[in-house]
Amino acid sequence: MTQLTLIIALLKPNLAFQAIAQENSRAADILQKIVPLILLAPPIFIWLGSGLFGWRMGADEALFLDNTSRVIISFSYFFVLSMGFFSTVFLAHWMGVTYGADKPLRVYFALITVVYFPFLIASIAHLYPNAFINLLVLLPTLIWCITLLYKGLPIALEIPPERGMLMSSSLVGWLLVGVVSILGISVGLWTIGIGPAIAV
Amino acid sequence: MSQNGQEIYHDRVVTRLIQFSLVWVVVAMAVGVFLAAEFIWPGLDFGQFWLSFGRIRPLHTNGIIFGFGVSALMATGFYSVQRTSHIPLFMPKLAWFCCYAWQLVVLLGGLSLLAGWTSSKEYAEFEWPFDIAIAIIWVCFGIVFFGTIANRRIRPIYVSNWFYGGLIIVIAMLHIVNNLAIPVTIGKSYSLYAGAQDAVVQWWYGHNAVGFLLTGGFLGMMYYFLPKQSGQPIWSYRLSVVSFWAFTYSYIWAGPHHLHYNSIPEWVQSLAMVMSLILLAPSWASMINGIMTVSKAWEKLRTDPALKFIVMSLAFYGLATFEGPMMAIRSVNVVSHFTDWTIGHVHSGALGWNAMITYGTFYYLVPKLVGCELYSKKMANMHFWLALAGTMLYILSMWAAGVSQGLLWLSVDEFGQLSFSFREIMAAMSSYYGLRLIAGLIFFVGTLLMGWNLFMTMRGQKTIEVIPGPVAEKYRINSKPESADDHIGTGVPA
Amino acid sequence: MNGLNLHKKLEENTGLLIFGILFVSAIGGLVQIIPSLNDESLSTPTVNTRVYDAVELTGRDIYIREGCHVCHSQQIRPLVAEVERYGPYSRAGEFAYDRPFLWGSKRTGPDLHRVGGKYTDIWHEVHLLNPRSVVPESIMPAYPWLFERTASQAGNIEKKMKALKTLGHPYTAEEIANASLALEGLREIDALVRYLQMLGSSYDENMDEIEMEGM
Repeated sequence: MTQLTLIIALLKPNLAFQAIAQENSRAADILQKIVPLILLAPPIFIWLGSGLFGWRMGADEALFLDNTSRVIISFSYFFVLSMGFFSTVFLAHWMGVTYGADKPLRVYFALITVVYFPFLIASIAHLYPNAFINLLVLLPTLIWCITLLYKGLPIALEIPPERGMLMSSSLVGWLLVGVVSILGISVGLWTIGIGPAIAV
Repeated sequence: MSQNGQEIYHDRVVTRLIQFSLVWVVVAMAVGVFLAAEFIWPGLDFGQFWLSFGRIRPLHTNGIIFGFGVSALMATGFYSVQRTSHIPLFMPKLAWFCCYAWQLVVLLGGLSLLAGWTSSKEYAEFEWPFDIAIAIIWVCFGIVFFGTIANRRIRPIYVSNWFYGGLIIVIAMLHIVNNLAIPVTIGKSYSLYAGAQDAVVQWWYGHNAVGFLLTGGFLGMMYYFLPKQSGQPIWSYRLSVVSFWAFTYSYIWAGPHHLHYNSIPEWVQSLAMVMSLILLAPSWASMINGIMTVSKAWEKLRTDPALKFIVMSLAFYGLATFEGPMMAIRSVNVVSHFTDWTIGHVHSGALGWNAMITYGTFYYLVPKLVGCELYSKKMANMHFWLALAGTMLYILSMWAAGVSQGLLWLSVDEFGQLSFSFREIMAAMSSYYGLRLIAGLIFFVGTLLMGWNLFMTMRGQKTIEVIPGPVAEKYRINSKPESADDHIGTGVPA
Repeated sequence: MNGLNLHKKLEENTGLLIFGILFVSAIGGLVQIIPSLNDESLSTPTVNTRVYDAVELTGRDIYIREGCHVCHSQQIRPLVAEVERYGPYSRAGEFAYDRPFLWGSKRTGPDLHRVGGKYTDIWHEVHLLNPRSVVPESIMPAYPWLFERTASQAGNIEKKMKALKTLGHPYTAEEIANASLALEGLREIDALVRYLQMLGSSYDENMDEIEMEGM
């Protein structure tokens, strides 16, 4: 049953969204339970990949960091992913009222999990941490995730697609601001001397 | 006046301006795609001076801002000021003059850029003959606009008009001060300011051209068309008052954040940084006002592809107005300055906000102007997804490129030596530039779809004649306000 | 509610609204621009900063015409890595004769403020004719037309120098009279290369020392 739910969530997201919407849905429970696991996977891939092949930011030579730095990077990544995931879930739950949704928190967990799934699969690219290859894989994936959000949200929350569209757009706005904040915070940390060595 | 002597709104000039705006967006975006391609195939100019990157890049920016943007703002400004004043345009012939003279200036100015006439100042590249022409047309635009307001038949001046008014006044001030120069020949002049002082003046202009034209002007568009399309009054009147004045006051200070760590006094940089951060509040206030307004009218989205664009544009507006202050923080700017992150930021505003809100407005306005249905709703919906995907891909690829550039330029090894040569880093950018080209193409295809869609909608149609509607008793020009509500410049515009 | 009452006046009176917007929007600019325009440290040339001679000025105007500033900055920020890559950081006084300023906002290519003397004249010529023959990774366009036009075709040099003189650039009558002569026989590319080669010559070691003393 567990495996079946996960496979459905991956291959037939629409079915998964419908399943989540049902009261006391088993699917929602299962999806909610795997959250820690799916948030851990990409950081582990990064840790493995940067040890095996080194970082490639674009310039030719690969950059091999010591294990401590790799652990720190993977951990920060895990932290950022979790923040993104949980903040989106809770924000959606909080916003849901405005858009006429009346669902327990676990439905939101399940919904965001299904939306997150393509990213999870694509994060396998982290095993070879070349910035461009990762970007090439992850960009279309992210666009696919956003499409899933737009399609799935009204189904899972059982609200009219128009209200779903508004709510999804607000969430996308939040995610964009979140991503750009992460960029800004990391850059700010580099400048004060945390992270990669830059001379300012 | 219509044939039977009844007064009607001057909407034909609006239709014509929209048509010009559509032509410009297609031309200038095509130039943008071509520029993106030159990043990958630098030989694409075939040794022709007029296809050279340095000359057509200002053609792209000026074509979008002044050709597409200002034509759209003039069109929507003329349309909304008549409705919110309950009176036809003041001096309609002057409005027609603005319409055609403006196109001529942008066309000839654009060609002069190809000829190498340029003042080099960003978004103010046009040389002095065009600067003078722009100043004259701008004043005429102001006369028509404020003349209509002065003649209005309704007591309050509606909120969208404040923003359009801010656009007209502030851009006039910026344009004149920044372009002061001594002419040498018809196509060459020397700036009245030199060096660091020139830089301070230019970025006071450059930043606020973005502020009052691309942000404020288009907020005017939002404040009229969003309530109109959704049939809901603006969510909060007070928020719009506070955000307008706070916006007008604080935006103007932020210019020097374009010159962080450059050779200008540190106090100017710090002041600009602080004011940039403060600016986030009024910027987001307008976004919240917009989102809350449309949230009450979600049913309308079912039938209206136009509203989708406006909703999406608000999300990107939120992003861009958050990203801007963030990039104005000195410790972030130190990495982002001079990189493609800046380009990405500009496009999150230009594609995500300006283009999308204008597209949404056009999808709504054009069928209304010519009195028939949109040619194809399906095509408009397709356009929406293309626009969203194109913008996302553009922003993300430029983020990746910009952050890598900024990081690699400053990277040093354990001995304090630079880790990478400039050319290594530059070469590493090619793949991101490739992605950006694809993103631009996707967005451009969407724009072409819209062009076709609106062309087919307008084809063979005439602009319909609309008679000014009556004004409610309590809003009449000589009426005395009874309650606070009777003052308000918001509400659903008539 | 007092603020809102005041606002009712503004939103019912066109003249007041215009004035209000003008007033409110002017403050920030005035506070930043007036002191900057009066700040002599921004307009006083450094010891080695001099006006551009006829050839350099012609070259600089070609640089502007071709939009070199679109992809190349002329502003070295006081950052360790930046100084290491490009040379001593830029001082305001070094730009005292720059009309317009050419600091740029984007580095698709490297900064050029101190590019003078780093490469030979020949290198520059080859690079501008066929960038990829000397820098294989380059994405810079080629500028073949600069090799076909004469420098005196690139604008009326006397008029230019006279205009700059009225703005306070210390050109002598003799320099202006000899300007056309100086351009004779030069191609546009020669003028541009002369300009590129003098970039950064405004630097002198004392600049660093003076600042060290000041600390």
